[in-house]
Amino acid sequence: MRYGPYVFLAAFFALAVSWFGFVLTPQVQLGRPVQETNTVMKADLYPQERPGEARQGLEIYRANGCAYCHSQQVQQKGTLVNVVLTDAGKKTMDVAKVLNDEHLGSFSGPGVAAGLPKTLLQNATMDQAVALQSLLKNAGAKTDLHLVPIGSDIERGWGKRRTVAQDFAADATVMPGSLRVGPDLANVGERLPDMNWQLMHLYAPRSVVKDSPMPSYAFLFERRKIGSQPLADALALPKEFAPAEGYEIVPKPEAKALVAYLQSLRSDTPLYEAPLTPPPAPKTNAPAK
Amino acid sequence: MNATSPTSSASDSISTAEIDASCRVPLFTLFVSGAVWLVLGSIFGLLASLKFHSPSFLSDCAWLTYGRVHAVATNAFLYGFALQAGLGVALWIIARTSQTRVAQPWMIAIGGKLWNLGLTIGLIGILMGDSTGFEYLEIPRYGFVFLFLGYVLMTFFSLLTLHNRKERALGVSQWFLLAALFWFPWVYFTADYLLLSRAPIHGVTQVVVAWWYSANLNLVWFGLVGLAIVFFFIQELMKRPLYSRHLALFTFWTIVLFASWSGVPHSAPVPAWIPALSTVGTVLTVVTALSVIVNIRATCAGGCSQTENPPPGKFIAFGTMAFVVAWIANALSGIPEVASVTNLTWFTVAQWQLNVFGFFAMALFGAIYYIVPRVTGMEWPRANFVKSHFWCAAIGIVVIAISLAIGGIVQGFDWHDLKMTNVEVAKSQLNFLRISTLGELLILIGNLLLLGNLIGLSVRYYKTHFVPVYREVTAELKPAEVKP
Amino acid sequence: MNSATNQPASGAPREGAKDPTVPIWLIVVLFLLVFWGGVYFDEHSGWFEPQVYSPYVSAEQLKTFQVAGGPDIMDQGRQIYERTCITCHGPAAAGQPGTFPPLAGSDWVNEKEPGRMIRLVLQGFSGPGLKVNGQPFNTSSAMVPWNSLSDDDLAAVITYVRGNKDWKNTAPAVTPEQVHAIRAKIAAAHPLSFTPAELEAINPAE
Repeated sequence: MRYGPYVFLAAFFALAVSWFGFVLTPQVQLGRPVQETNTVMKADLYPQERPGEARQGLEIYRANGCAYCHSQQVQQKGTLVNVVLTDAGKKTMDVAKVLNDEHLGSFSGPGVAAGLPKTLLQNATMDQAVALQSLLKNAGAKTDLHLVPIGSDIERGWGKRRTVAQDFAADATVMPGSLRVGPDLANVGERLPDMNWQLMHLYAPRSVVKDSPMPSYAFLFERRKIGSQPLADALALPKEFAPAEGYEIVPKPEAKALVAYLQSLRSDTPLYEAPLTPPPAPKTNAPAK
Repeated sequence: MNATSPTSSASDSISTAEIDASCRVPLFTLFVSGAVWLVLGSIFGLLASLKFHSPSFLSDCAWLTYGRVHAVATNAFLYGFALQAGLGVALWIIARTSQTRVAQPWMIAIGGKLWNLGLTIGLIGILMGDSTGFEYLEIPRYGFVFLFLGYVLMTFFSLLTLHNRKERALGVSQWFLLAALFWFPWVYFTADYLLLSRAPIHGVTQVVVAWWYSANLNLVWFGLVGLAIVFFFIQELMKRPLYSRHLALFTFWTIVLFASWSGVPHSAPVPAWIPALSTVGTVLTVVTALSVIVNIRATCAGGCSQTENPPPGKFIAFGTMAFVVAWIANALSGIPEVASVTNLTWFTVAQWQLNVFGFFAMALFGAIYYIVPRVTGMEWPRANFVKSHFWCAAIGIVVIAISLAIGGIVQGFDWHDLKMTNVEVAKSQLNFLRISTLGELLILIGNLLLLGNLIGLSVRYYKTHFVPVYREVTAELKPAEVKP
Repeated sequence: MNSATNQPASGAPREGAKDPTVPIWLIVVLFLLVFWGGVYFDEHSGWFEPQVYSPYVSAEQLKTFQVAGGPDIMDQGRQIYERTCITCHGPAAAGQPGTFPPLAGSDWVNEKEPGRMIRLVLQGFSGPGLKVNGQPFNTSSAMVPWNSLSDDDLAAVITYVRGNKDWKNTAPAVTPEQVHAIRAKIAAAHPLSFTPAELEAINPAE
């Protein structure tokens, strides 16, 4: 290292290696705008482009640094499997024998076929589930495997599966966050879809969540004198947070945009890289939820 | 300080005093602006910290919402003080070790002014809502342009100074600084080009680049420059050479190879290979900390007393110890079992604070307290401020690091405990945050002492050097002196 | 700086001074950690597969977890119907009298062998003479060919329409292979839309 050019080359080499690994390769792998990873619901385009108001809301989220206290990355520790019997087949005695041998309960022939679909084995590993499935297949029964993602984030209700790159593919600025002072927001659109709750939470967090340390975003709202009638948009705040008599709090377009963004935050579509058992489709013509 | 050099050397040898004097103009800009940004950053940092205890504090104004205040605090500190004053100290070390005058000091000062301009408009932009959304890279593009130009100017002339060196073989501090001076513009330009330009990259790759930039700035750049400062001053203050150049070379390679891979958290929404590589890089940086421990301990073997200027030595010593603790903590938090608790908690904040303030800023303080008297030829107006600054800063950062580290671990376990609601988890943090606010307050006081001392010294310098000249030039001429 | 010992503070080696090397234990630690890193990477990285995310550790393992058996075909078919067919045939598959024939309870849909229906959807039809459930259905509209949809999509939507109990359709499902086979057959033989007379003449089992 005695001479300048060697130091320069050493630094260049090390930086090039790191650049190759963290800048170039991820871009090559993940940089394309839409990827065909949604092999579960092929007809669905995932992720859908966020509606215009939600995209404005993303800018407000960015400008006010919401990502400093809220993350958008659900973590998953593992995936367990349930084995669900869907069709007992014709040889119910054989099926019952298999289940009894595996110590899954005491079944009789007719008892096996009753109350289908029923879960035979819960929270098993994939190997155990596949083994049981093949035993039952030999006995003529049909089974389904249901996936059960586990992890403290999932058990807290923050999401049904882990967040993956595809979840952010439609966002202009991706902000998965770095600190969790408050809860994770990756699925908040599914967990807290009520617009009024969200607006009140932004204006006066302590009015809907007691002792919350979240700062108030009152500057996204307008305090105005009530005209001949209160506006439909005006917030229905509890007494200690309500404005003075004769005034109402009305959300500005920024507040509504931010709430639209929060409502659009859902990431529970099953994907190839984050498999999930989708909820059963409705048997009628009614649109799925 | 005795500024004589061996007179038996070649006739073109420059005395140390001349070298120091040539640094005067750029260092004045860089250090004084740096101290101003330091204080500003601390004020904003204190404000942000206070908002945790009193969430409705100043929350009615969009400009003072937590998200914007926090971004301004970290950026003012990182870009305003750490990078700027760091470049100043780097310049002085380069000039001293190259035994040559600074090349074009005025250009470097102009670079510093451009840097300040970029930072000012960038921070105002953040307050107005133009934050980019990427941590440690919040300054919007219009600020970046001036920052980058200023950096290029400052660095170009620093490198020119290095190029003018007498002895062609490079010393340890010189390698570290040379690598660092090239490192920053590459990573900064790449990050800006990919993230902030008109056609930024899409999706989660943005965050991977942002994390890569953050690790390269916080670990690699601060590590290289900070260790350059530590290695230089250990030798300077103790008047003995560094124990092992080979070990320093080992340190250099482990920083540039492993720390540049750090940064992607374990839980990131990216394919498994990216956090896996980052984990390996992070854990391997423990070797850097170990190599520094060995080198410094062996250099200090036989007593660590310094023959001159205790306070700068105290800062450098504290900085070295903080480096070791911060880097070992970082390496530990890379281990997946530990990361599952400490990820996304205050622990990472504690580690960051310890690294950039406890290590880098303290090393800079030590350097500034050593350099400025030599460059200006004047003593600090208040020597007791220097001592008080040390204690305020040291106690402050220890308080912050310990309270946030413990708070972070508690937070990590709490989030895993399903019986605790969101608010309960937040409440369990509150006492730790209160203690860390006290630490922030102490640090602010220390920073004010530094700024006070610097301004006092500048005023004194002005009074000593400019006022008499000014008075002489503007004095009324006696009739005898007027030429016909 | 240049004190009595005349040493530059840059750490350049002195004449004849020995420069201690890196201690052996540190090298051992480094190699142990590199070994650990290699093992960790091997076990947890999925070897650069872009679809492997933790907790999954390899592409093979991820494949075993794809148990949903592909999409629920009725749901997939419903989605395609609601995007594509609904505009003409209506949400209750009742069509529009005089313009678009119904699919609910239609004999075209409920044929046991799907050959006619697949051809119809693939190539469309136009021309007079259409009969639905024995009754003439006079329409001047043509049906657009849907060969732009993939075999999977076509199989899904045709299965959905044929098996939709709400619409009183009880015909068996259709596989993508069947669609593919018929697509190949008519690609060469019949590039234009069918007429009703041609369709009547086709043996649906083919």
